Amino acid sequence: MKQGAQNAPLAGFKAVLCASGVAAAYAGRLLTVLGAETVLLEPPGGTSLRREPPFLDKAGKVSALFAYLAAGAHSSVCDMETERGRSAAAALLSEADILIDDTPLAERERRGTDQAAIAARYPLLVHVSVLPFGASGPKANWTAEEINLLHASSEGNLLPNGLSQELFPDRPPLKIYGHFASMQGGIAAALGALSALWARPETGGQFVDIATQDAVLAVSAFAIQRFGDGSVEHRATRSFRYGGVLPCADGYVELLTLEQHQWTSFVDLIGRPAWALDPALDDSLERSRQGAAINLRIREWAKDKHVADIVARGQVLGVPIARYNTPAEVLTDPHERARGLFAPVEIDGVGACDMLVAPFHFDGGPLTLVGGPPALDDYLQRQPSARRGRAAQSGA
Amino acid sequence: MGKPLAGIRIADFTAHAAGPFCTHMLSQLGAECIKIESTLRPDIFRKPHPVYGRMGPASFDQVSSNKLSVRINLKHAEGIALAKRLVAISDVAAESFRPRVLARLGLGYEDLRAVKADIIVLSVSSSGQTGPDSHFAGYAPLFGAWGGLGLLTGYADGPPVEIRHVMDHSVGLNAATALVAALHHRRATGQGQHVDVSAREVASSLIGEALLLAAAGAVPERMGNDHPRMAPHGVYSAQGEDCWVTIAVGTDAEWRALAQAMNAPQLAGDVRFATAKTRHANRAELNGIVAQWTKTLSADTAASLLQAAGISAHASWTAGDVVADAHLRARHAIVDVKEPDGRGRAAVGVPMRMSKGEEIGIASGTPQLGEHEDYVFGELLGLTRAERQALQDEKVIH
Repeated sequence: MKQGAQNAPLAGFKAVLCASGVAAAYAGRLLTVLGAETVLLEPPGGTSLRREPPFLDKAGKVSALFAYLAAGAHSSVCDMETERGRSAAAALLSEADILIDDTPLAERERRGTDQAAIAARYPLLVHVSVLPFGASGPKANWTAEEINLLHASSEGNLLPNGLSQELFPDRPPLKIYGHFASMQGGIAAALGALSALWARPETGGQFVDIATQDAVLAVSAFAIQRFGDGSVEHRATRSFRYGGVLPCADGYVELLTLEQHQWTSFVDLIGRPAWALDPALDDSLERSRQGAAINLRIREWAKDKHVADIVARGQVLGVPIARYNTPAEVLTDPHERARGLFAPVEIDGVGACDMLVAPFHFDGGPLTLVGGPPALDDYLQRQPSARRGRAAQSGA
Repeated sequence: MGKPLAGIRIADFTAHAAGPFCTHMLSQLGAECIKIESTLRPDIFRKPHPVYGRMGPASFDQVSSNKLSVRINLKHAEGIALAKRLVAISDVAAESFRPRVLARLGLGYEDLRAVKADIIVLSVSSSGQTGPDSHFAGYAPLFGAWGGLGLLTGYADGPPVEIRHVMDHSVGLNAATALVAALHHRRATGQGQHVDVSAREVASSLIGEALLLAAAGAVPERMGNDHPRMAPHGVYSAQGEDCWVTIAVGTDAEWRALAQAMNAPQLAGDVRFATAKTRHANRAELNGIVAQWTKTLSADTAASLLQAAGISAHASWTAGDVVADAHLRARHAIVDVKEPDGRGRAAVGVPMRMSKGEEIGIASGTPQLGEHEDYVFGELLGLTRAERQALQDEKVIH
């Protein structure tokens, strides 16, 4: 039986998820790891996320994506196409503080989860709609996947840059790995849910409308400001003038010297060669002008160096330089181990696996991952007294 | 009814992008955000950095919108005392110094708890407040590199890719979420918190499934625009120079609809593309066929046509396309902001709509350094004009 950690920030809150996409599920994950009890409503056979690659087993039955997104949540099978399923969902919603729903708009009324119906039946519930383009506006009924949303926000058009753009200038723009855009939608949904919950004593429940497109656009704000200032960013021209991705003997590092003292320290790192001591290069504008030539020199210097060595020495000198870590390196990184970024969870069909907990600490320590992904319909095992959210408990 | 976070006050010591983006989000949700800088140490993003290849400030206007600005010289003992007075009337103190810098100044978590027992302190840093690398310096592309996101992003046969400002801002969005969670905790328990957000760990959190895969012994790799299941899936050349449309086909029904939309119904019966598995195995060939069709249409035309057929598609938009879009305007995701000098510009709004309360979003543009000292030092802290003048003479307010 999974219960939110007693001292976690959201202990006592309960959220219900209708999630077939990454954005809504990721919002649920954040609420779960912050201490809320979350119940994933699934259709018979389970949410489609359970069948999304990549898989942890050779048979392709255990989704790594679902395991990560649903860790710590419960599962309740409710067939929303039937009266019985809707009734079971209603029982869960009557005990909940938050509903996160990514059901397409056109299907909500039939399932009883449209804005008006939810507001009428559950006046204290924070109802968070998570859709690719939101629940209002001309494109509210458009559908989208990750790659579409990255490009609908303009960030996709700006990738890649730096070394990759130099090597492959004629290739199509490039997506960010995985589910970056959808997860921004999920984070925005969690923020919206918690903000509306904060206002609940004054406002009661309310409808929060999240568009993943809006969330990706928000984190892409830089390009919009530049446009407002009269400049148009383009992937071919927004590379760092010097530094960036540097191939080394055993991997890659990233180098970015914004400040004068960082450049000076970098010159020390590379052994103060004559070219770098040219007084003209003390001027950041001149360095920018000579960026291409500087990069040739820097890349020549880096190509036979070992990543661990130059990152360690560089950071001691105050040079912003980092290793491009593989996932395996992140997993075994002494720093992340010391911070408790990973915790073992039990995954049916696979066994114990280290899973990322959360990217923040509260009061000096990591949060608690209360379990792995739920078995289908595991919530029935819970005791009714343990199922009520804060609103249901207080009657507030 | 006001905005959801009305009544929350933030003493904002953050600089650069990640921390300020966090407090920018919270300010749009109604928190009163007081940005603390000094003439000696203005936010580094107020000025341009030529390494970026441009001579305008980066994102300062966007993330400073909605905030109040005061000057406090934190190098001066009286400045520390003044900062503490401000924290004492705040709910949150947010900072993005390197770990231990604020403590050395006398403004660490314990120092601030001493002046406000239930204060919530938010620290945003490259590697977190603890751990062997906590002293590391870093910016957005370094966060992505450390966290694994940068290495996995890229063409399969190419190098890793820098994740730029979206990385910073995602850190800020995470931090804002954690901070509101801490407010709930305070409401429930009466206790403050020290919230420690590690930017490189945010990067890692965005590849959680790949890290899990690695924990199970697999080796996740760069995939370019490919998807592990869908095909066609990619960015396809459209009519016009450097114009692209993105398409993702997830099901057999969508594939048949795409074939119909392309006026190539015979493709739906082609054994090479009959199932998701064979489409994926033959995706290089399939992508070529789709691209032959997309290049005959404008990107927006192709996207509209495909959306009408129930297929996930969208043009690859530039900032200009985004700013002009009726949908984003209708949702206030793009708004027009008037700066104090009368200049107007497009800005990005808060990424949510709420059914109750006052309209959330940007209400004011970029503050001038020290613009709101009458209100903050005068009204909130009750300093007289003479006291403020004395502090200015001492270069405490400076």
